[in-house]
Amino acid sequence: MGDNPNNTTSMIRLENVTKYYKTFPAVNNVSLEIARGEVFGFIGPNGAGKTTTIKMLATLMLPSDGRLSIGGYDIVSEPHEVRRIIGYMPDSFGVYEDLLVWEYLDYFASLYKVDPARRGRAISDVLELTDLAIKRDSQVMSLSRGMKQRLCLAKTLIHDPEVLLLDEPASGLDPHARIEIRELIRELCRMGKTVLVSSHILTELADFCTSIGIIEAGCLLASGRIDDITHQLAGHVMLEITVKGDPGPCVDALSERADIERVTCDGRAIRAEYTGDANEVDELLEYLIRGGARVLSFTRSEADLEDIFLKVTRGVVA
Amino acid sequence: MNISNPILIKEMRTRMRGRRSFLVLTGYVLVLSLILGLVYLVLSNNAPTSVVSSAGRYLTPVLIFVQMGLICLIAPTFSASAISSEREQETFDLLVVSLARPSTIVFGKVGASLSYLLLTLFGSLPLIALTWSLGGVALGDVAIAYLVMLVAGVTYCSMSFMWSTLVRRGVFAQLLSLFTVIFLVAAMPALAMFFTALASNFSGGPSQGFINVVYLLMRTNPFAAIAYLLFGLPMPQGVWMEKVPIWITQVIFYLGLTALSLFFSLRRLERVRKWL
Repeated sequence: MGDNPNNTTSMIRLENVTKYYKTFPAVNNVSLEIARGEVFGFIGPNGAGKTTTIKMLATLMLPSDGRLSIGGYDIVSEPHEVRRIIGYMPDSFGVYEDLLVWEYLDYFASLYKVDPARRGRAISDVLELTDLAIKRDSQVMSLSRGMKQRLCLAKTLIHDPEVLLLDEPASGLDPHARIEIRELIRELCRMGKTVLVSSHILTELADFCTSIGIIEAGCLLASGRIDDITHQLAGHVMLEITVKGDPGPCVDALSERADIERVTCDGRAIRAEYTGDANEVDELLEYLIRGGARVLSFTRSEADLEDIFLKVTRGVVA
Repeated sequence: MNISNPILIKEMRTRMRGRRSFLVLTGYVLVLSLILGLVYLVLSNNAPTSVVSSAGRYLTPVLIFVQMGLICLIAPTFSASAISSEREQETFDLLVVSLARPSTIVFGKVGASLSYLLLTLFGSLPLIALTWSLGGVALGDVAIAYLVMLVAGVTYCSMSFMWSTLVRRGVFAQLLSLFTVIFLVAAMPALAMFFTALASNFSGGPSQGFINVVYLLMRTNPFAAIAYLLFGLPMPQGVWMEKVPIWITQVIFYLGLTALSLFFSLRRLERVRKWL
């Protein structure tokens, strides 16, 4: 029997977890801890091992090696206890098209053994939370994709789980629906849930995650609180430069310098990673102006999730 | 079977909603009525009055045999896609991570298929009441024939469900289920006939062992069980279980198959994390 969930500080724990598909290691020796109330962003390119890891945590798959636990319960030996405290939303999921929205939720409420006396209230609450109350008596097949996504999230919450495993919850949605899902997850964070949310779209996670894990080719490359990782990995200064006219010569000039590690250009905006002394960055501006660049803006910025991701990963697709 | 089984309730909601269930049931009763009407027409135009006056003697077996044939065809389609369709429509993961036990899934799904089968059997009751009222068949025999059909339906649904847990694609599960039913209802008699033909070539006639095997195979067949019941198939002297009616051994054999199918389905679902 696992520990009492109330006594554990780390809600999700992975210890040297490996998962092979035949001989191919989809997840390779991953160790990770997520504290109670944490919103953990699981970042990685497609095929990195995010879904496999989440499926193992959701008790849908067995690890080839290592140990996974949620709330102190081992996912291999105590799957039923784990299922009681988790809500799982897969990346691709189906809905029962023939059911009405409330019937769909009632079905999952009874599968999760929600007390029949409380079921009606629970259904109303999750419909309210996901902004689907107006669709209560609609047929599931009549919902838009975004609404179906929210309905799936509603069913994930129907038994009031402590831990949420959300695998690409906003994939395939239009920008408006994406924002709605993001707001919903933000609300769940406020409710104190421990959330593990995966995505390969970094901006999706940057807003509300308190900690992140970056996975590539089955290996966890970095994990921890965003601030710590930023501090740890982004020792360099990020510069954002806007020039008048063609940014090409300016990009070339920056690329020639030894103290510039990476230069990207988006329209007229140039982003460069400066590895030199942060107090000598004015010398770089002078260098550009001397070279003929008509600099409109020259600002220092903190490394964001995207910078960290690009720095840590090697562009390997598992 | 727990009547408050959420899967059973959900399945009943989706199966009974819409026109499909209504059309299948109506079609089922119409086919039976049409066949009965044709047989009665042939009888009344060609048979002597003495035969027509006890038409129930002919119509009741026709009705039961046709129903048995329809059950062989439709029972597998009811549950052969129970799990495969959940996998195909990507809802199976959601079911597995819920608190539903494998037994809840098995009895919910098989129960829903059975309830529909029961509905078709009930749908034919007015017709059987009509043919029975024409005389010639005992009410007890009709009741036992319905029991044989019901057990056959339960067995075919259970076996089809087992295939649906084993095969990912619903269409393959359907095909395998149909082949299994065909094997049970056609291959066993074919084997029995083969043994009989083989034995007839032996000098001095077939040995008692051969006769025993042939009749044992016959005891596995629901059509033979119904024929024994309604026409009184003769049993050779000294054959194994000579005094035991065929329908009893057939029902026991089918219940055994049902138990095995449900057991393997449960085992398969208990180990879902190894094959998902």
